[in-house]
Amino acid sequence: MPADLTDNNPGGDLSELLNLTVPADLNSVDTITDAIAANLESLQVPEQKRLEIGLAVQEALVNAVVHGCKGDPSKHVTCRMDVDPSGRILIMVSDPGPGFDVERLPDPKQPERTHHDHGRGVYLIRQLMDDVRFERGGRQIRMWKY
Amino acid sequence: MGPAVDGLRQTIEETLGNGDTRLILNLAEVPMIDSSGIGLVVRFLASTKQRGGNLKLVQPSKFAIQTLRLVGVLNLFEIFDNDDAAIASFT
Repeated sequence: MPADLTDNNPGGDLSELLNLTVPADLNSVDTITDAIAANLESLQVPEQKRLEIGLAVQEALVNAVVHGCKGDPSKHVTCRMDVDPSGRILIMVSDPGPGFDVERLPDPKQPERTHHDHGRGVYLIRQLMDDVRFERGGRQIRMWKY
Repeated sequence: MGPAVDGLRQTIEETLGNGDTRLILNLAEVPMIDSSGIGLVVRFLASTKQRGGNLKLVQPSKFAIQTLRLVGVLNLFEIFDNDDAAIASFT
């Protein structure tokens, strides 16, 4: 990640495009992904990149709702989207849940896990985005697309 | 995710319950497939194969193919351009 684009740079080089806090249910995921899609289109981000960002954000939001908040709509998930002057996009998703140790997630590409019906979300996010950081004990994900 | 995946799961479970084990899934109207969708198709691919059948994909989008490839499951599936070709492949 570029040295000048840290999370200690609030409102510095980054322009905030979206900052939403929503109830933790799957309808809220659609609300946020639609808003992000609209922003990406306004920024004239190429379609392939829009698809990759859209899917990564959806995965992060679903994780926040399902695992972070156990699908409890009385809890809330926050999503923020920023862009830097060169067009690099930063998306942050956070939840109030217990967090998790991302280093202990099994590799879904191991042969014995091929036919598992879960466990691919974080792996997919890492493949789709250029830089992914988990913070606050797994309760927050920060994702860059360059 | 959500209702779409739940609905598909229910449909496939009912189909399997009826004894049909040769399934085709037309993805022409599905622009992207997320991890829950991938999990579902992988799970039912295994279920159908265990019963001597198969689950084949028709017209996945370029991005869906990319996603399946990224998580290492693309090569598990037979993929066709149209329903007729997929159906014919079962004979």
